[in-house]
Amino acid sequence: MAQITIKPDLEFVRALEEAGGESLKKCYQCATCSVACPLSPANAPYPRKEMVWASWGLKDKLRGDIDLWLCHNCGNCSDLCPRGAKPADLMGAARNVIYKDLTEPTVVGKWMSKPSGLPILFGIPAVIWLVVWWIRAGFNGGQWFPRAADGRIVFGQVFYGDYTIDPIFILTFFGALFILARGVMKLWALFKPEGKTTVIGKTKCWIWHLWDVLWDEVITHRKFDDCENGPATGKETPSRKYGHFLLVWSFVILACVTAIVAFAHWGGKVMPVIHFETPMPLTFPVKILANIGALMLLLGLGFLTVRRLRLNPKFQGSNWYDWYLLGIIWLVAVTGVLSQCFRLADAIVPAFLVYYLHLVFVWMLFAYLPWSKLGHFVYRTAALLYARMYGRS
Amino acid sequence: MSGKIGVYFDQQNIGGGLDLEALAAQTSAKWGDLTAVVKVVPVLALAVDEIRADIEAQGLDGVLLCGASPRVDGELYRLPVQVEHVNLREQCVQAYKNPDRTPVDSASAPELLTLMARDYVNMGVVKLQKSEAPEPASVTGVQRILVIGGGWTGLTAALEAAATGYEVVLVEKADKLGGAANNIPMASPLVSPWTDKQPTNLVAKVSEVTGNPKIKIHMNAHMEKLEGQPGEFKAVIGTLSGPVEVEVGAVVLATGWVALDQKYLAPMGLGKSPMVVDAATFGKMLVADQVKANRIAFVLDTTMAEQAVAKAAEESAPAGDEKPAAAAAPEAEEGEEVFVKEDLESLRHLSYSNAVNSVGMLRLANTVCEKTNDACQAFILYKDMTVPGILERFYKKMQERLGVMMTKADVTDIREAGGHMVVECKNTLLGMDFDLDVDMVVLPTGLVPTTAKDVTIHFDYRQGPDFPDLQLFDGFADSNYICFPYETRRTGVYAAGCVRQPLTMDACEEDAKGAVLKAVQCIEAASHGVSVHPRSGDLSYPLFNMVRCTQCKRCTEECPFGALDDDEKGTPRLNPTRCRRCGTCFGACPERVISFANYNIDQIGSMIREVQVPKDFKKEGPRVLILACENDAYPALDMAGERHKPWSPYCRIIPVRCLGSVNAIWVSDAMSKGYDGVMLLGCKYGDDYQCHFVKGSEICAKRKENIAETLNRLGVEPERVELLEVAIDEYDKVPAIIDGFVDRIVAMGPNPFKGM
Repeated sequence: MAQITIKPDLEFVRALEEAGGESLKKCYQCATCSVACPLSPANAPYPRKEMVWASWGLKDKLRGDIDLWLCHNCGNCSDLCPRGAKPADLMGAARNVIYKDLTEPTVVGKWMSKPSGLPILFGIPAVIWLVVWWIRAGFNGGQWFPRAADGRIVFGQVFYGDYTIDPIFILTFFGALFILARGVMKLWALFKPEGKTTVIGKTKCWIWHLWDVLWDEVITHRKFDDCENGPATGKETPSRKYGHFLLVWSFVILACVTAIVAFAHWGGKVMPVIHFETPMPLTFPVKILANIGALMLLLGLGFLTVRRLRLNPKFQGSNWYDWYLLGIIWLVAVTGVLSQCFRLADAIVPAFLVYYLHLVFVWMLFAYLPWSKLGHFVYRTAALLYARMYGRS
Repeated sequence: MSGKIGVYFDQQNIGGGLDLEALAAQTSAKWGDLTAVVKVVPVLALAVDEIRADIEAQGLDGVLLCGASPRVDGELYRLPVQVEHVNLREQCVQAYKNPDRTPVDSASAPELLTLMARDYVNMGVVKLQKSEAPEPASVTGVQRILVIGGGWTGLTAALEAAATGYEVVLVEKADKLGGAANNIPMASPLVSPWTDKQPTNLVAKVSEVTGNPKIKIHMNAHMEKLEGQPGEFKAVIGTLSGPVEVEVGAVVLATGWVALDQKYLAPMGLGKSPMVVDAATFGKMLVADQVKANRIAFVLDTTMAEQAVAKAAEESAPAGDEKPAAAAAPEAEEGEEVFVKEDLESLRHLSYSNAVNSVGMLRLANTVCEKTNDACQAFILYKDMTVPGILERFYKKMQERLGVMMTKADVTDIREAGGHMVVECKNTLLGMDFDLDVDMVVLPTGLVPTTAKDVTIHFDYRQGPDFPDLQLFDGFADSNYICFPYETRRTGVYAAGCVRQPLTMDACEEDAKGAVLKAVQCIEAASHGVSVHPRSGDLSYPLFNMVRCTQCKRCTEECPFGALDDDEKGTPRLNPTRCRRCGTCFGACPERVISFANYNIDQIGSMIREVQVPKDFKKEGPRVLILACENDAYPALDMAGERHKPWSPYCRIIPVRCLGSVNAIWVSDAMSKGYDGVMLLGCKYGDDYQCHFVKGSEICAKRKENIAETLNRLGVEPERVELLEVAIDEYDKVPAIIDGFVDRIVAMGPNPFKGM
């Protein structure tokens, strides 16, 4: 009787180990992790099976494994693992390796996977924005640090919205969206078992499923409670909910602010009523919202960073992907706030330099989103949506 | 024979409202001059000096201590005369309950309790009266240890023994020392931290042995004969230049193992394809750098082979039914039985070797991956991954290797296909059934002890040249003692290493050390004339009154340790240092010619008769005699008493060395005295049989059948004698066992001999 012949891929195991799953071979399959997991279902629970698939280098099994995305990384499994095999880290590492290979062009994923790729990742936007600066300096009569006519510092003097920031970011945004969409489609195809899938029972439109996902995971962060309220591990694990909540909502607020500003600017060209220009006065409602968002961002970041620093490396580690994402958000936030401060303090050289860096980091955050850990916000949502529509295969 | 006894009552330890002064007065009155001193002392432990003074002043030759169980503080009372204990605490006061189960009034003792105490004291006096201080039967105690087998265990044993100051004679059958260890240059860990493979440095060990002036090595040699007894064995070693005779004090048996026949694993492809090998062969190939495979399956699940054997057995079952009858025939015909060695090799040896194979396969799999820097993939497919004890650490380390992949799996087929092997796996941890394409399949090696195949020692014993009952252990020279693993059924011969149990090399070393310690202990004990084990230090040994011996040979046949030889006529001849002092011989003797100085038929019989059996069964209740094994049942009774789990007050308990030492005459004594029932309380037999003397209660059960026949003839219900089993930890069950028996006796009514 012919059965599947499995072909272990040890290179894949090496990649998992490099991406943060370095303890995966320690697992001896006791399944304490699956029992400890507050989210894992009774039927074919995770992460026990993921551990053995990882150890055997079963790449296809892990790529098609929706459970990787159902995990919310609370770390209970790693806290209770009697062998120190750190299943939570393996789950995270597997997700990272999957973005890396799933998202084209995969070379970016390679750069993203280790610190040595950082100079290239930084270099690309650094050059782009330097070119922009150089061109604009030409427009400003060779002045690299020009002042506006009224003597204020206006970043738009150099990084003029209409012709520089907006087109570049719009392109970047839609490019990233396109790449993500392709990635999601590939992931979706991997989840689909061979043959035809039939859903029995009442079905809902996928939009409603998506709404459920967003409500549970993003808007209310309810799933995080399930995670934190798991069985007592006897170990102090700092909570992630509030940090993550603040961070996500600050992103939402800042995205709204950006949208309003863009809308006011571009829309204002046809409907002068809604038109306003940046920089906005500090008392302007949109500006207030923006600053609230920035504060929440800093606070959330602070929480999450302190939490990572406090993790006991015996049970849970932080890999390069974790630190890259936290680092880049930090840099975006710090350069954003600092550029405003320098602008208000009228320190023109640091203001422009920091603003330049700010643009570089923001670009890094968005352009590399599909390969970075931040990609989970799209891939996980897709996986959760799949699970709600078709269940786990 | 004690003629002047001091009786001491331990006031502190008795209690229960017993009137000790009255008891003392009664004792004095009854025994008169025999009990020269009768005293009630407040605290016995503080009266030791007083007792010593009495011994001096009064010339006492026996001391009877009435108080706590002899198992408590027994070592406090090492006196220059014979000491006997009367257990008035655990098995009298603490175990007492009213027959109607009404609460006991602790202020003044009920009459039944007083009667019981009086019986026990009188029994104690009689016991001492009929006891003599034993003279030791010591031998020279040759300070030389014979180590049979020059493998890893034997070499270690030889070095250990030499380091302890003993001369060593090492017998090796091959022309090279080291045995199986020659094929394992890198072993599983031998020392802390128990994590990594370790070079065995066998060469160094061998040269240490060959260079040791205390060790005499015989190569290409085998045992021709071992005669005599511990402390003065005579070994005849067959060498290329003829037999060599040597005197030795004790023997360490380290003859190791041979690999299980390939035919057993043929259903899994062994011997059919060159790509299928067993672990031992694979190890040799690896050492010789002959392993070229890139994908190797290490299969620990041998269900396929087991099923094939089961199927074959099923097919041959109808024919097999007639076999035993045919085999029994020649034995019956021949007067002189000819010893035929039964080959005990079977597939079960593979299961027993699972731990060694688990550790071995982890080591081999890790080694191939390490050699190729994980270009090689090694799959370990197990049913039971068994790593003993601290080797768990080794398992952890070996498992971490990238190329080592493990899963529990049912291996359902191994077949050749297109130049490679396909291993079919079901029910795996991977959550699916799958095939593995591999270049090589490694199957476990069954470690068959040499004792399963050959007569290793050739004892010149009346009971034959081989170890007895080897089939119980599938040929392993293992002991039935949890605490004394090296012990064999032949005193002075200690088994170590894989001949005893399949072991990893670190465990073999430990075994060798343990066995050498036992051998040293044995030589010392023999030179002092005391028993080595389990009645360590016992001076007594069986004495034969040859005048009445009828040469029936029962004693020589039934001795569990082959301590008795005999001459042509069948007259028994004792080898005292082989003897473990259980008394099975005197339990067997129909003529009652065997006795120990301090334990004999008359003594126990007199104790039985010393109990006052009331004539009125209805009013004063029955009397039940309990003969309790002192190794398991007696401690269980003590523990029950200590925990206030009382039993019927109609019982009188006499400890015996072993139920195997119970002579049928004691039952007759009890019946004629008017006891209504006799209970034989011994250890549980069956799978976890823990009898210190191998099969005492089992022998007793057989003898009981004869007793029942006799009772039937006399018109006494055979149900009045029962053998009941209790394990040492069953103190919570033993009162119910006793009460159940007493209830049955009460229902049966009085012994018809009562009052006659």
